[in-house]
Amino acid sequence: MSPMKLCVPGDRLCSKEDCMPGTGVYLRHGYIYSSLAGYILRKNEGEELPVISVVRDTEAQLLPDVGAIVTCKVTSINSRFAKVHILYVGSTPLKDRFRGTIRKEDVRATEKDRVETYKSFRPGDIVLAKVISLGDVQSNYLLTTAENELGVVVAHSEAGAQMVPISWCEMQCPRTHAKEFRKVARVQPEYLHT
Amino acid sequence: MLNSFKDKIGDVLLPGDVFSVQMPESITDSKPEKIVCGPGLRRNGDEVLVCKSGVLRHKPPNLYWIDSQQRRYIPVKGESVIGIVTAKSGDIFKVDIGASEQASLSYLAFEGATKRNRPNVQVGDLVYSQLIIANKDMEPELACIDSCGRANGMGVFGAGGLLFKVSLGLVRRLLAPQSEITVDLGKLFPFEMVVGLNGRVWVKARTAQQTLIVANMLESCENMTAQQRQVLFRRVADGSI
Repeated sequence: MSPMKLCVPGDRLCSKEDCMPGTGVYLRHGYIYSSLAGYILRKNEGEELPVISVVRDTEAQLLPDVGAIVTCKVTSINSRFAKVHILYVGSTPLKDRFRGTIRKEDVRATEKDRVETYKSFRPGDIVLAKVISLGDVQSNYLLTTAENELGVVVAHSEAGAQMVPISWCEMQCPRTHAKEFRKVARVQPEYLHT
Repeated sequence: MLNSFKDKIGDVLLPGDVFSVQMPESITDSKPEKIVCGPGLRRNGDEVLVCKSGVLRHKPPNLYWIDSQQRRYIPVKGESVIGIVTAKSGDIFKVDIGASEQASLSYLAFEGATKRNRPNVQVGDLVYSQLIIANKDMEPELACIDSCGRANGMGVFGAGGLLFKVSLGLVRRLLAPQSEITVDLGKLFPFEMVVGLNGRVWVKARTAQQTLIVANMLESCENMTAQQRQVLFRRVADGSI
């Protein structure tokens, strides 16, 4: 196998008749150009033309798509929204941390206007959320936790111990027995490890 | 160092002191005691840890707390504070309350304020208001209106008068129901006083000189016992104009 060739955005790779465009490339005026800086991959698909794509690393990065369940960590909260870092898409970890936003009205499905962000999330919580929008250039991914299975999974109390969920809106610290408010996710029993 | 807690009431404690709450084994027939930890104390399983330096106080039946002198204010929900308006941006005012972050005050949180009828608040005004959101993760929020929609004494004030800073312990003493300091000061000459729980006090008397005298006496009350204070007040009353 010949060593993989490097290319930069804007490189003309081949003509439309030679290959089919894959990921990381775009089609313009009958030619295929690269839109990423990386390695050129040519894959033979069978009787059709080979598929040409450009990848940054040898494995393609999985990007969060609309409707995907993501695992994220809360970084800061505000009275209008909570900012999170997306860590996992499904069960695959991401190499870079993408930023997401959970708006106040997307925290719960019922009584949306009476939500208090401080009683739903705190900085440092691990939250299961669903992507509702990719956002535009400036803004982050928009996420929602407005379902029973979405919400806070792991949270630490003010004393520093990991809290145990009691109901859909409360968690208790095992050390000080203090209760704190969170929007708790109802994790399916088959995903719980003892 | 595990000692019995009750011997230390009235003693000065330092952060890092640990106390065990278990009763000694010789007394087995008495029920285990419940201890309610107030500010400055933290419960960790069977132990009670001291978090602030100060004097240990006790209120029967089982409330213990540390009395500490501090000047830095930590916002707590529901407390009434004096703030200084520092900026107007869009729909909110930014108010300095002496905490680590500036608080926000919505312009609709005044009595009789609507979207068309904006309140008359300028940068630099003094505002007496209540904290409605105050925790360590979010920016504090103020309101000059109570839950029924009435102002209840809150709002912009302070034409004339003097604003100065004292420690939090003195402020709590001034706001206690039977505060001797305010009663004694009131006998000297009439004055107006607004006390904020963030350590700020505003006073206004009839003349500028009387205002300064009242302010200086309040600041000096911090480190004096009751007798020293009575002596000082009598001296001022005799020599005052």
